[in-house]
This record gives sequence, C-alpha cells and structure tokens, in this order.
Amino acid sequence: MKKTGRILAAVLAVVLALGTLAGCSQKSAQQSSLETIKKNGKIKVGVFSDKPPFGYVDAQGKNQGFDVYIAKRFAKDLLGDESKVEFVLVEAASRVEYLQSGKVDLIMANFTVTDERKEKVDFANPYMKVALGIVSPDGSQITDVSQLKGKKLIVNKGTTAETYFTKNYPDIELLKYDQNTEAFQALKDGRGAALAHDNTLLFAWARENSGYTVGVSSLGEQDTIAPAVKKGDKELLDWVNNELTALEKEKFIHEAYDAALKPAYGDSVSADDVVIEGGKIQ
Amino acid sequence: MDFGFIIQSLPLYWKAAQLTLTISVWAIGLSLLLGFFCSLILYFQVPVLSLIVKIYIEISRNTPSLIQLFFLYYGLTQIGLKLEAELCAVAGLTFLGGSYMAEAFRSGLEAVGKTQIESGLSIGLSRSQLVRYVIFPQAFSVSMPALEANAIFLIKETSIVSAVALPDLMFIAKDLIGMYYSTKEALTLLVLFYLILLLPVSLLLTALERKVRYGQFGN
Repeated sequence: MKKTGRILAAVLAVVLALGTLAGCSQKSAQQSSLETIKKNGKIKVGVFSDKPPFGYVDAQGKNQGFDVYIAKRFAKDLLGDESKVEFVLVEAASRVEYLQSGKVDLIMANFTVTDERKEKVDFANPYMKVALGIVSPDGSQITDVSQLKGKKLIVNKGTTAETYFTKNYPDIELLKYDQNTEAFQALKDGRGAALAHDNTLLFAWARENSGYTVGVSSLGEQDTIAPAVKKGDKELLDWVNNELTALEKEKFIHEAYDAALKPAYGDSVSADDVVIEGGKIQ
Repeated sequence: MDFGFIIQSLPLYWKAAQLTLTISVWAIGLSLLLGFFCSLILYFQVPVLSLIVKIYIEISRNTPSLIQLFFLYYGLTQIGLKLEAELCAVAGLTFLGGSYMAEAFRSGLEAVGKTQIESGLSIGLSRSQLVRYVIFPQAFSVSMPALEANAIFLIKETSIVSAVALPDLMFIAKDLIGMYYSTKEALTLLVLFYLILLLPVSLLLTALERKVRYGQFGN
C-alpha cells in the first residue's frame, strides 16, 4: 500500500501543477491588438454556426447572418476588404473562453450583455435588443411560465435563458444542450414541454417551423447584444465603438436587418424593436 | 483559484459523479454479458450468428461512440422510437463496449492450447465439463487485463453522454464554465473527480487480476 500512496501523491501533485499553470497564463496579452490585427491582415471574429438568422453556415459553407453581415463591414472598414475576416465558429458556452485564450479578437456571436459576462470580457456598445421568449408546440402551448411547473424546459448551455431560469425558477427542470440545433431537435422530438431562448431567435424559428408558436414572447428584462473583446483590449473596443457611431449615419444596422433578419421575420417584427443604431438605445 | 466556488460546486460534481458511475456500472456489466456471448458464438463458430456478430463488431469498433449515441438519441426518433437519454447512454456504451469485450474474451479463448482441449477429451470430459473446467478458467485469466482496460475505457467514454443532456461530470464542468466562466476551477475539479473515480477502480481491478491470475502471480 505504500506504493499506492506514493502514486496518489504524485498524481495530486501533477493536477495541482496543471491548475497553477492554467492560472498563470492570463496576464500575457496586453500588447497592441489593433496593430497585431493589421499586421496579420485579418481579424478573427467568433460567430455562431447554428443560430440563423444571426450566425449560420449556408449550403455553400459560407458564414451568413446578421452578426456576420456586421462583422464583414467591420473588416472592410478596419482592413480595407470584407474578405479579411476569419470567422471562428463558437458554441454559446465557449464564447468567453475563445476571447480569454486569444483564439478570436472579437465575439459577434449574438452575445447578450450581462453583469457576469462583463466581469470576464469587455462589451462594446450594443447593436441589437433582445429579451427571452418561450416557444412550444401548438397543441400544448405554454403561454405563462407558471405552466412549466413539473415539466421539462429545454435550454442551450451558456445562454441567458439558462442563467435566467436557474436563478429565478430553480424548480423548473432544465434540459441543457450544447448546440442550438440539438436543442431545437429535442423540442421537435418532444423531449421537453418548451424551449427558452432569445425571443429574436424564436420568432424566426417559429416562422420556419409550423406547429410551433412563441407563447411567451418577452420574459425577464430587455437586454442588449453587443460585440465583445478580451478584457482590457481598450484599443479594439474604442475602434468598434467609433465604428458603430460612424455607421449610424448610413443606418447600416438597419441595412443589415433588411438583408439578414427581414426575410426571416417578415412583417411580424418591426426593425426598431430589434436594431440599435450608433450603439445607443434611442 | 476561487476556492469558495470550488467548495460551492462540490455537491454538483458529487451528484454528477454518481450518474457517471451508474451509467458506467450498467454499461460495463451489460457489455461484459454481450461480449461474453458474442465471443462464445465466434469461438464455437455458430453458423449465421457468427456472421452477425462479426458484422456487429466491425460496425461497433469502426464508428465513433459519439455518433452511435447521436444515432440512438436523435436518429431513432425519426422513425418514431423515442428512448430516454439514460437508456440511450447505456445502450450506446454497451453497443460500443460489447465488441471490445467480445474481442478480449475471444483472445483468451483462443489462447487455450489445443493440447489442453485434447487432453481433456482423452480423459473423457464432456463438452460442457471441458468448457467449465479447462477452457474458461484459463481463458478468463488471459483475458483479464484486456477486460480491465475495456472497463476503464468505458468509464472514461461516459464523458460523451453530456451530448444528450445527461448531467454527468463533463456536463457539469461545461455548464459551470458556460454560466459562471470559471474555467480553471471547473476543469480542475473535472480532472480530480475522474481521478477519484478511476484510481480506486484501477487499483481494485489490479487486485482482482492478481487473484484471478494466481497461476502467474502466485498466491
């Protein structure tokens, strides 16, 4: 048994060392981010692959959507060409890590501004408004949160919907998935009574998928969605904010809305309910 | 390191570890059973069945386990068969583990020397006596290390079940990262819990191996 003890001690030592190493790696990246981006000739932007119409990959394998549309414009104004953006596909729960570990310069993956997230990343000014919604099958529609008692609610890991229900309704059982596609498939398979997500996403999804209605269209507080940079990356943050102000003159976010969101919403949603121009809520 | 956060999350991890363990025990038990029968079918070259077993082993060993799980969870609903996540997890891991266990058993069975079997027959043992007293004890002892490795492999492989919304260890870690962004703490706890789970199993199995293989190790 002496040998076993020694092995255990060695293993623990290695684990602790790994933990310490992970702790050390945080301070290193405070050099000029804009210069690095310009030198590399490309900006790495984290977007979704499975959240149409905000960020998705089309049949040709190209990134498309509202967030992507705006990110391309950023690349054009920063580097002179909209092709100089490298899209990195992220999951909801991994968005903060992608920034922290320097795998992306900017997150434009429909990232809702929250206090918890503000502690870990820096948000630029917002470009979109959002609240939570609940979508459910027509036959057994959920029109009020109280109807969810004793039922399973599907959410996506790392989204505001998950945090909201964990905090405010701890007795509703949550079924949590990594990807939007999996979560919506689970709803279709009847694994939960309803699905909670950003209402802006649910409106588009319910319009595409007959038999489902957004029974609760606005829940919790009205939040905003903004580009995010690594904590302390003030240069890029300022650039994005100035860019958003500059784009206001040509109503560019409205243009992005017309190009990417209008086809998905039809006339069911008004542009001003979603779009924020110039980084300021009017 | 935020130790307050670690202590706060311990109960979550503990609960998740229990799920990981439960799924593992079922999956290991059932794959041993499945593997055992498959290996017998192969060893005794049962017509038709042995072809089916061979096809099964090839499919099971040459497709990723995550995809097997997705097929059970998302695929079968397309043809109207909705299995619970727990059932999918155990079935998926059994499907995977069964083939590995079968191969482990088979290697043991085939390691039993022809002379052993012939000697058994020559002293008038019946076929079932031959299997019980001559083939199995020797085969089992040879298979033991491979069976152990497979058992540990299956425990580790349970980390994929978070993909079907089962709150196992991997799931909890990813969830905590997604909600509170405490990557360091969540990942360190994850590694520690798998070690806490696997080290005793590993030691236990080594002890068991010594017992089963006393022929090699001595009493």
